[in-house]
Amino acid sequence: MIRLRLAFASLAIFSLMALFSPDLFAENLQADEDSGPFWLWKFMGRLHPLAVHFPVGLLIFAALLEILTLKNFQGKLRPGITLLVLAGVAGALVSVVLGLMLANIEDYGGSTLDVHQWAGIVTAGLGLLVIYFLYQVVMNQHMGKIKAFRISLFITAFGVSIAGHFGASLTHGEDFLTSTIPWTESEYPPADINIDLTAFEGEDGSMGEEQQIKLVSQVRAVFAHNCYKCHSEVKTKGELRLDTKEFAFEGGESGPVIVPGRPGKSEIVRRINLPKDHKESMPSKGKVLSSEEIALISFWIEKGASWPDGAEDVSVYRVAELAPRKPNTPASEAGLNQPIDLWVNDYFEENEISWKESVDDRTYLKRLYLDIIGLIPSPEELREFQNDTRMDKRAIWAKKLLDQNDDYATHWLTFWNDALRNDYTGTGYITKGRFAITDWLYTSLRDNKPYDQFVKELLNPTEKSKGFIEGIRWRGDVNASQVTEMQAAQNVGQVILGLNLKCASCHDSFISDWKLEEAYAFANIFADTTLEVSRCEKPLGKKAGTKILWEELGEIDSTANRSEKLEQLSEYLVQPANGRMYRTIVNRVWNQMMGRGIVEPVDEMDNLPWSQDLLDWLASDFAENEYDLKNLIYNIAISKAYQQPSVGVENPQELMEDNFVFEGAVKRRLTAEQFSDAVSQVIYPLFDKEAVKYDPYELAVSEEKEMEFARASLVANNEFLKALGRPNREVVSTSRDSQASLLQALELTNGTTLNEALAQGAARWKEKYQDGDIIIHETFRSLLGREPYQNEFNVAMEALGENPEPEKIQDFFWAVLLLPEFQLIY
Amino acid sequence: MNTCWNRRDFLKKTSAAAIAAMSAGAPLSGMLSSCSSREEMPSTADSVILLYMAGGMAHTETFDPKKYTPFRKGMESNEVLSTFKSIPTVLDGINFSEGLEKIGQVMDRGTLIRSYVAADLGHILHTRHQYHWHTCYEPPQSVNVPHIGSWIAKEKGPVNPVIPPFINIGQRFTVGEGEELKAFHSAGFLGSEYGPFLIPDPTSGLDSVRPPVGMSNSRFEARNQLYEKLVQESAMGEFGSDFQKESLKRSMEQAYILLNSPEAKAFDLSQEPKEKYDQYNTGKFGLGCLMAKRLVDQGARFISVTSEYEPFVGWDTHENGHTRLKDMKKLIDAPIAQLIKDLDESGRLDRTMIIVASEFSRDMLTEGRPGAKVKDQVEVPDNIEDMKNYGMHRHFTDGCSILMFGGGIKRGHVYGKTADERPCKSIEKPIKIDSIHQTIYHALGIHPETNYEIEKRPFYTTPDGHGKAELELLV
Repeated sequence: MIRLRLAFASLAIFSLMALFSPDLFAENLQADEDSGPFWLWKFMGRLHPLAVHFPVGLLIFAALLEILTLKNFQGKLRPGITLLVLAGVAGALVSVVLGLMLANIEDYGGSTLDVHQWAGIVTAGLGLLVIYFLYQVVMNQHMGKIKAFRISLFITAFGVSIAGHFGASLTHGEDFLTSTIPWTESEYPPADINIDLTAFEGEDGSMGEEQQIKLVSQVRAVFAHNCYKCHSEVKTKGELRLDTKEFAFEGGESGPVIVPGRPGKSEIVRRINLPKDHKESMPSKGKVLSSEEIALISFWIEKGASWPDGAEDVSVYRVAELAPRKPNTPASEAGLNQPIDLWVNDYFEENEISWKESVDDRTYLKRLYLDIIGLIPSPEELREFQNDTRMDKRAIWAKKLLDQNDDYATHWLTFWNDALRNDYTGTGYITKGRFAITDWLYTSLRDNKPYDQFVKELLNPTEKSKGFIEGIRWRGDVNASQVTEMQAAQNVGQVILGLNLKCASCHDSFISDWKLEEAYAFANIFADTTLEVSRCEKPLGKKAGTKILWEELGEIDSTANRSEKLEQLSEYLVQPANGRMYRTIVNRVWNQMMGRGIVEPVDEMDNLPWSQDLLDWLASDFAENEYDLKNLIYNIAISKAYQQPSVGVENPQELMEDNFVFEGAVKRRLTAEQFSDAVSQVIYPLFDKEAVKYDPYELAVSEEKEMEFARASLVANNEFLKALGRPNREVVSTSRDSQASLLQALELTNGTTLNEALAQGAARWKEKYQDGDIIIHETFRSLLGREPYQNEFNVAMEALGENPEPEKIQDFFWAVLLLPEFQLIY
Repeated sequence: MNTCWNRRDFLKKTSAAAIAAMSAGAPLSGMLSSCSSREEMPSTADSVILLYMAGGMAHTETFDPKKYTPFRKGMESNEVLSTFKSIPTVLDGINFSEGLEKIGQVMDRGTLIRSYVAADLGHILHTRHQYHWHTCYEPPQSVNVPHIGSWIAKEKGPVNPVIPPFINIGQRFTVGEGEELKAFHSAGFLGSEYGPFLIPDPTSGLDSVRPPVGMSNSRFEARNQLYEKLVQESAMGEFGSDFQKESLKRSMEQAYILLNSPEAKAFDLSQEPKEKYDQYNTGKFGLGCLMAKRLVDQGARFISVTSEYEPFVGWDTHENGHTRLKDMKKLIDAPIAQLIKDLDESGRLDRTMIIVASEFSRDMLTEGRPGAKVKDQVEVPDNIEDMKNYGMHRHFTDGCSILMFGGGIKRGHVYGKTADERPCKSIEKPIKIDSIHQTIYHALGIHPETNYEIEKRPFYTTPDGHGKAELELLV
């Protein structure tokens, strides 16, 4: 009896200690946060999972025995039960203390932890109550308390199971139990998953090697797109690399992150499951993984995290087909006779989109003019077009504009100058490191040089076209990835092949499968000698061979001299077998006219097109029609797809999303050149002829006699054009941005270039038209292609008056030029 | 005006229009995917003023003088260490070169770095080193890289939405190497919204922020009203909203607010009392400092004032180094010291960081650095017969001085050391540009791993995010 009393007493003292200790520990641990907790606390904390098994076992067993003694309280089992209860409650208290330490030290978090923690604390509290009743019964012979003792014991036993369950969920994962039950709906795969995880399993739940490779490839794709940025060769945070098998299983500074077969034990699973704002959440930057991706990784680990040796040969990136493909055109539909429209129709049906009525003549003609010749139609041309009654007048006018060779060349010169870094105004001129190709480019466009020929002349150049691959020769030292040969490899990759080699020119890419050596082998084609391979600026003392990126296109003779190599390259790349190159160009042209490519970004042709069939068909049709760019533009311009009403997006990011849905051309903003030309055309020349840098008329390459005004694309870059978005062309640029900015608005609002032209124009118009009434109508007609609405007219008239001063006219021009209706191609 | 604007306060206080204007998206930036860290960082600075000594300021002739070797006809070039006497500063044992007395007297309010080491870029080219100084990336790069001011504008936004967040004062682009200068006066891939607002000449700064020349305020007002009414009545309304239209409308509104705002007066130096104006007026650079002070008072985020780079002008002394440096010191001494004093007195120095720096230093003999000597660009005779050969005429990268004041920078502190004998290179705590940048970002509360994904690759504020803030410079 005395010993029992002693046991009760010591338990009472211990429980008092337990009550205060959590605070004590918490303080201690807080203070030590920087240096990390004292090892002993950490050690003791980790004893929690061990200690918890005592109260669970003892208390539940005590409850079981209690059931056996329901009829006879003072049976033989009583002393045993008493000891079980005492030991069990003591264990519960110890577990609570250790558990709190563990939670503080190891940074667990989340609602499961909260439930577990409070269930544990409440259970331990109930345990004390059990002991109190037991004490009353055993020591003080209060038999009336037997019932209370029993009830509290059963509740405690239940509580300890609940706390234990949540504890197990923390360590083993929430579905540790339920996932084994065949009839519970498995968490994997969740309802929204796209990846059919069950497809990886055989009927008996096992996986063949092929399935294992497939599974790990998908996992590696998730790693590649979300984790490599910080956990691969280039950047290795927390000493963890996920890009190869060896490193992935080795883990990081805090040990292994993948425990095969035990997703609940795997650090990686814990971290990717943490809420985004948790400081240990992974990926720590950028977006969190989707539930499918998390499920995939957990599933892979659960299935043993197998990573067969052949797995690394499987690409984790989407890789587009190289070969051309000509899909069979779908059967004709009423009202649709263009293959483009048949493909779009297919796509519309799949996406449950219905055709809308084509845009009106005014909208169509403005688009057509701006897209083909870069100018806006004059009121007379618009009237003529509107009065044209021919059924196929849109096709006829498209053809007519395409036949205006100089206007066409002048407009498309802008696009190609951006892409080929021509008409360059940036650095590097100092040592004549740069060669203009404007003359070659202009004549090629004007003569509509077949695109295969065009590319051949860029790659295996004449004196007049060598600027593109010669690149920029800087004075002084440059990065190994910026030597001219590597510039050529990068730029040919980006512009001609829709391929990003910039990563791989410094180290094995972590955004594609391209390796450092492949980039060097490609660059060697442009080199007189063979380049020494450098990784991240460190020479490796070795050389790569001389190879085209895709060996199936042909073998470059590495012993040949540079011009022979270039000739081979140019022949190999333009082959019809290089479907990629032709998909790249048709996609670019589509993007220019539709505001969004079939593949986006247009320099990343491995991305998913919204219609593979359309892309493939356009590319093969382009090849069949002798690589005729104008024919391609014509086909797009007369398609019903092009004539659909334009679509606006509220956030430009939407255009980049994979799930973009095509419904019609996306609204665009006038380029710097289009805007300038419209002002020059309608109001007053923005640039005088002295500003012209390249004058095809002077060089007598033009068919026309004289330029009406200095077209902006021929003018040297200046602050005005730059503010409106003309790049300095130091790097390749294949799409202009159509968002406005403050600095642009300031240039347009108080810059001298525009205001002076408008002042000149106003004086001229005043002389010509005099009346406010006429000026308002003429301005609307020539800039917007329509008459003003009554309310617009009233507003304008209020500002101008019957007999407006030139200043008023100037300000009116300004206001109309800055209207969204004028600024946008819609 | 509130002295410590921050973005959040701002959103609470300003009108809807101003907010819309402030958040007016930028070209490209709308498409940028930010990978910046989610962690909030405490800050010790709101604004930054960079006072740039373009052309290569010799450390031995300015903030790190060595033994004075007066001019003697026929003296050996190798003898020459400093061509000026040393003068004491307010800091014990720290001397400056003669002519910098005023700055010497305010050094108790900032830190002197004597061990900046510029990059090896092979053949010395000012604009390439300037590109590197301002962007932290060695040119050329395969994408357009932003200026430090653009990063700050992008990450911190404007302090006062009416004042453009990145203002560049004093550099014309019509001088030699103008295109090279433009290459780094750019927001690069961040989008032109964050590009520099250029004030090539501070005396005509107002022209950049007022209605077009010859347009009265009332006419400007009327023009804007006409525009707004036409937008309202426009048929485009029916086409729904899209980012191009919205961003155009917002930008126009923002431009109008700026051009019409009382804050724009900050650009008008004629509003400054004559006495103050004269204190600063040592020329374009001094007035640039005055404008910087006025702009910080009105809530500017990042201002760069440059002594202006023009080949062979200013600090770019290929000859007559000694004589010309006298003038350069006159140009900078009073206004820099006055700027520090004025900001300190108004209390703004606590949250405004000022940096005085140059792309590299100069030396009599060494071109580049010892051991990595590059092609000489200046003929230096073995013996100096003529005063015009007396001075630091070669480009030296291995030891340069930087001054930093305010915004959390230690007061009265000296960091690093250069050797007293030729080549006078950094011998203690060499510090590079990524550390300097990261220290500035750190003070502003910009996370070291701030980055954007460009062509699928992360681009950080400092290359690969490796820049480490030098905490020793900070309080």
